[in-house]
Amino acid sequence: MKLHCFERTFFHSSSSLTPIQLPSPMETHLWYVKPSEVKSGSLLNQYLDILPPCERENVLQMRGEELRKSALLARALVRTTIARYQINSHSNPRSLKFRKNLHGKPEVQWQFRDDQHPPPLHFNISHTTSLVACGVTTNAQIGIDVEEKHRSIKHNILSFARRYFSKHEVQFLAAISDPQVQRMEFIKLWTLKEAYVKALGKGFSGAPFKTFTIRFKGVMEGGFITLEDLSPKASEIVVDSFDDPADLTSNWQFSLLELANSHYAAICTEKHGAGSGKRNAPGKLTVWKTVPFLEDECVSGTAAVKIICGVQ
Amino acid sequence: MASFTASHVSFSAVPCSFKQNQVSNSRIASLSFSGKGFSSRKLPVLRFRVACAAKPETVNKVIEIVKKQLALPEDRDVSGESTFATLGADSLDTVEIVMGLEEEFGISVEEESAQSIATVQDAADLIEKLLEK
Repeated sequence: MKLHCFERTFFHSSSSLTPIQLPSPMETHLWYVKPSEVKSGSLLNQYLDILPPCERENVLQMRGEELRKSALLARALVRTTIARYQINSHSNPRSLKFRKNLHGKPEVQWQFRDDQHPPPLHFNISHTTSLVACGVTTNAQIGIDVEEKHRSIKHNILSFARRYFSKHEVQFLAAISDPQVQRMEFIKLWTLKEAYVKALGKGFSGAPFKTFTIRFKGVMEGGFITLEDLSPKASEIVVDSFDDPADLTSNWQFSLLELANSHYAAICTEKHGAGSGKRNAPGKLTVWKTVPFLEDECVSGTAAVKIICGVQ
Repeated sequence: MASFTASHVSFSAVPCSFKQNQVSNSRIASLSFSGKGFSSRKLPVLRFRVACAAKPETVNKVIEIVKKQLALPEDRDVSGESTFATLGADSLDTVEIVMGLEEEFGISVEEESAQSIATVQDAADLIEKLLEK
């Protein structure tokens, strides 16, 4: 048990961030903010203040106050989160630089003379207007996606799935008779697929959704078990990729959670040292709810984090 | 950024260029001819697009579909220049919008093309390109 988790809530004077150690190789950190809980105008100005001009401009270009707020919180969250890890003693969220990889995936541009050995921190963010999240790993690619549980889908679920999902996944969804349950399983599946594509970092077209199947080990062929039926410890989420045999399913591990009773969150991370056929212990996940500069609360093991599948 | 070509100037797709707020947009470069043979008055600010900009009907249909998908208020100003991102479309919205466009126009959009759509105009241009085939 990590020491800082015993003290659930930290209060700080403004502009301070609790420093924290990088997650161990088998561990993932997840930080999230709920925009509705950030009401202070001066705090929002503080966030605006740590952004470089181009990021500030992007935030202000968003059409609508809610969108501007969640865009601002997304940038503030990623900067303050990474700053907490004080890589090479750098602790100022303002001084971080970001760039995009070849396929458009954001990454930190570390400012060191010796660029041969960039720090092993990896991150990925996802946001809706009602929740913003940032996942952090060490030495492992990561992709995350969050969606509102009650998000409405404008199209017929099965038409959408037939167009974009794999055959196996369509069968899985088609077997669900209750439309509400079907919609929620669809959203869970969507977040898992998004998280995988984001972890790969090749962009939406780099791994078209139709070319891989995400399934839950333990589900009978053609049958259906909702994720609620699966015991989190006994089951596993796996990916089968048709297009890229080099992209082995054993390379990736997934977690699926319900956050703050309102959102599904999927996390996909690279697995290391996975021997073929060896059953790997699920990774450890630590979750914080935060209002950067103001308050952090470790919510792992509380009602705010319901693990549906995949991790301890 | 706007791109310029002497060969095709489309006015029809961008009636909003003449609005006050567009003129002040720093992204639009102004063209003015001065010197011999031309009067010294400045030409109005124009947006030029490379040949084959989509018809206004197509752009308007895209706007309609986008507004519906994102549940935007009727008075929200959406134009060809609007980017999906700034309107608040996330990846699932974008995919739903593309699917809506496929159904409306009877086309099929590949992932590579879908990924390159940033603005309403991009979507309209892509639709017309696919319809030409």
